[in-house]
Amino acid sequence: MPWKQSYTISDETSLRDDQVHWPDGNRCCVSVVVDLSVARGPDGTRAADLLHPDAQFGAHDGLDQLLAVLKHFGIVATFAVPAVIAQLRADRIRALLADGHEIAANGLKHEDVSGLSAAEEKARLDLATGILTKVTGHKPTGWFSLPRQDDPFAGGTISPHTMDLLIDAGYEYMGNGLADDIPHYWVTDFASRRSILTLPYYYHFDDQWFLMFPRKGTGLERADELFRNWRAEFNAQYKRGRHFSMTLHPGAVGWCNRMQLLEDFFTHTRNFPGLWNPTSAACARWWKQTYPASSHLNLEPSIWRDYPGSLS
Amino acid sequence: MTDQLEREIADLCATARRYDARHQRIPDLPWPAGTRIAVNFTADFDAMLLRRLLNEPPMQLAKGEFGGRVGIWRLIDLFDAHGIKATIFTPGRICELYPQALRAAVRSGHEIADHMWEHHVPKDPALERDHLLKTAAALEKIAGRRPVGSRSEHTLGLLKQEGFLYISHESADHRPYYLRDADGDNAMLNLPFHYAIDDAMFYSFAWLGSGNAAQRITDPDRVFDLWWAAFWQQYRVGGYLNIVVHPFVSGRALRIDMLDRLITRMKTLPGVWFPTCEQVARHCLETYPPKHHAV
Repeated sequence: MPWKQSYTISDETSLRDDQVHWPDGNRCCVSVVVDLSVARGPDGTRAADLLHPDAQFGAHDGLDQLLAVLKHFGIVATFAVPAVIAQLRADRIRALLADGHEIAANGLKHEDVSGLSAAEEKARLDLATGILTKVTGHKPTGWFSLPRQDDPFAGGTISPHTMDLLIDAGYEYMGNGLADDIPHYWVTDFASRRSILTLPYYYHFDDQWFLMFPRKGTGLERADELFRNWRAEFNAQYKRGRHFSMTLHPGAVGWCNRMQLLEDFFTHTRNFPGLWNPTSAACARWWKQTYPASSHLNLEPSIWRDYPGSLS
Repeated sequence: MTDQLEREIADLCATARRYDARHQRIPDLPWPAGTRIAVNFTADFDAMLLRRLLNEPPMQLAKGEFGGRVGIWRLIDLFDAHGIKATIFTPGRICELYPQALRAAVRSGHEIADHMWEHHVPKDPALERDHLLKTAAALEKIAGRRPVGSRSEHTLGLLKQEGFLYISHESADHRPYYLRDADGDNAMLNLPFHYAIDDAMFYSFAWLGSGNAAQRITDPDRVFDLWWAAFWQQYRVGGYLNIVVHPFVSGRALRIDMLDRLITRMKTLPGVWFPTCEQVARHCLETYPPKHHAV
């Protein structure tokens, strides 16, 4: 096995807390990602998903509520938008841009690409990029593959080709990775150090896993636990001077008591001086200038050995 | 008809008695003078190895990778700050992926113990032995000494033969106990851990292959309350607690903070002992060696 492929995607150790710096002496980076997908599972957006009151709520009332709270607290967000949603709701997407938010890609239909051929995946990626470019007037710089509620895992799905295709397509960052809680480089080739910057995602700070999840059963509404996770991680990352990133779905968090919890959370964070709240694109730009892969990616040579009777 | 049923009842009882006989409890184990409870912090450092073994997708591997890049370092810092010596159950393969973190753990005086070669025990006895020896050699190279403990389902006879002193695997008793193999031989000390005192059961989505309908991932405040209650009950009876953490799970900042609060609160009480598993094992073996009997 060359390097540590199929095991690790980045270098052996993260940056220590005291090595992490944010612009203008700010202490902690706070990222808000809003997922505008209504896809339930690996198929991506289906007609049935759009013909659902939750989707209707998320596209209108829920989104209005969420935007009002973001505006009230002066918070900038990155909207992860499947191309089909961008085409469907082009005016709304342009209004988000006008409000200072970022529009990033979240797949063509937010479908699972892990089983596609590279050619098929590239065609979908190019089409998604084209649609978003047409709607917003410029090429998106970020790509997300966020998880859906009916996925078997809560990390998002990619294929073995995805990261290379994103690099080829000129994307500046991948929006959701789980190997760190600060931006880090996802290496696709050890020899050439080919990599793409990846921003941190963790499902404990994503509303969809706490608000009526799984969808059917009893005792599934655990908004209080979501809130405590947000608060605990924010407090801890602030103390360390690192990064806090949350993921929101207007169809979930936009509802009544949940919206109140989000307000309570931002009321809590507002008391902390030195917060930097960039879009994901601005965060990625800062990171690549300050911690370029050429000097900050420390790939140890592999000491991995192949043995009979062991996995490669 | 009745004869048949009576035979079934007798067979069930015989089966259970054989299983009973494999377990030897330590009812009134005295801890060292001044100690009221022994608390083992044990870290299962498999990072992404189990995810890889189960052929899980890339983002699942990245979730595990957090444990090696970030989590293990934070746990070492946390234990060091509290003067706690922990036991890190480490698959042999991790020595090839994260040698720096393991060397740092050794420098801080933590115990490095076996957690299988690549997180499974092969069925073939020759390959099983090969895996155990490879792991022992890899850990010895990092730690400077052979491991004496194992968290695995390795054959007890093999572990004995290779000089292992204890396992830490199941929870047939809340205190350390001796477990014999099916033939009634090879009594091995077990330092029990319970899944309810295991971070992954609360925080790791799809743990142990569970489906979406089984997920209720929760927050650290709730786990703090549960674990404190477990500790407090054992403290009052003078018992034992084995707290299982995974670097990819508990290494997250919010949970390191929770563990910090939990340890700080435990330390407000007198007589709380935070040894390595090896220390507990040697104490048990000296104070209460296994009875020499076969079933």
